[in-house]
Amino acid sequence: MRLLLTVLAIVLFSSCKQKETTLPIYGNRDFNGKDTLYHTIAPFSFVDQDSAVITNATFKDKIYVADFFFTSCRTICPKMKTQMKRVYDATANDPDVKLLSHTIDPEYDTVGLLHNYAYMLGVTSDRWHFVTGVRDSIYKIAQTSYLSTTSKDSTEPDGYIHSGAFLLIDKHQRIRGKYDGTREADVDRLLKDIETLRKEG
Amino acid sequence: MRSLIFVAAVIIIIISCRSKADVEFDQYYNQGEILYTSYCANCHQKDGSGLALLYPPLNKSDFMDNNLEQVLCIMRSGKTTPTVVNGKTFVQPMRGVAALTDLDIAEIATYIYNTWDHKRGIITVNEVTGKMKSCE
Repeated sequence: MRLLLTVLAIVLFSSCKQKETTLPIYGNRDFNGKDTLYHTIAPFSFVDQDSAVITNATFKDKIYVADFFFTSCRTICPKMKTQMKRVYDATANDPDVKLLSHTIDPEYDTVGLLHNYAYMLGVTSDRWHFVTGVRDSIYKIAQTSYLSTTSKDSTEPDGYIHSGAFLLIDKHQRIRGKYDGTREADVDRLLKDIETLRKEG
Repeated sequence: MRSLIFVAAVIIIIISCRSKADVEFDQYYNQGEILYTSYCANCHQKDGSGLALLYPPLNKSDFMDNNLEQVLCIMRSGKTTPTVVNGKTFVQPMRGVAALTDLDIAEIATYIYNTWDHKRGIITVNEVTGKMKSCE
């Protein structure tokens, strides 16, 4: 009897474990009578540190991690960039993984400045795009597509409030994970989730 | 029982051996660590290693070794000119923290100059006040 219970527990446990290996899909969903329509990243067009135009097509068949920052920020951005650099290093041999950092201070963070920033961080634009563009477009995509808080606030030390979130986006442009980019442990979880997502194919 | 007495004796000796200077050093150092964590570690990192060519390292730094006065000034006033550290040039400007008092700066300096590879000893508030007069 005890043996049976043990076997049952193991079976239950392992079936739970299998469920854990699928990542959630974030955001509102619709049903069109046939299929479930998931929340996806809206069409966008920005310019990266090498003046290349970056759109949704740049991430076709790629998994990517997105965040929002600005180069002159002293509060959480340096922590975020330290952690994003970890992601960059950890995925160095994964050609299907890319990174996308949006500046939320596009007037100051020009293409040239982002180019220097990426150079100083020691990263290349084939894997990590630092993009700038029209302020309203960046803020809108942050809030409505990536479900991330971003706004200008003169009472803050550096003039902006923004979340330090990293968003994990799958090959169908759906949000599959949200992480605190200032916390090492949360980014450990992100690295694991990237591996899980890669297995989805 | 005997070993307990021995341990107690050792502890008493250690405590009584600690001079006023040691206690003062500890106060500076511990407060410096707290200030370092909130004002400096975001960029220079908790372990002082910096980040690539964006933020220079402090754990091993010939610039720190040779430029104590400048380091004190930079904490409050920032730095916009390039800085060469261990042969590498860092151009990203650093903004100072204007709110730091001379005592805060002395405590941070005591912390960073006595952690990692550094063993300079205490940097007192009087020393800082004197040196800060030469800041540009």
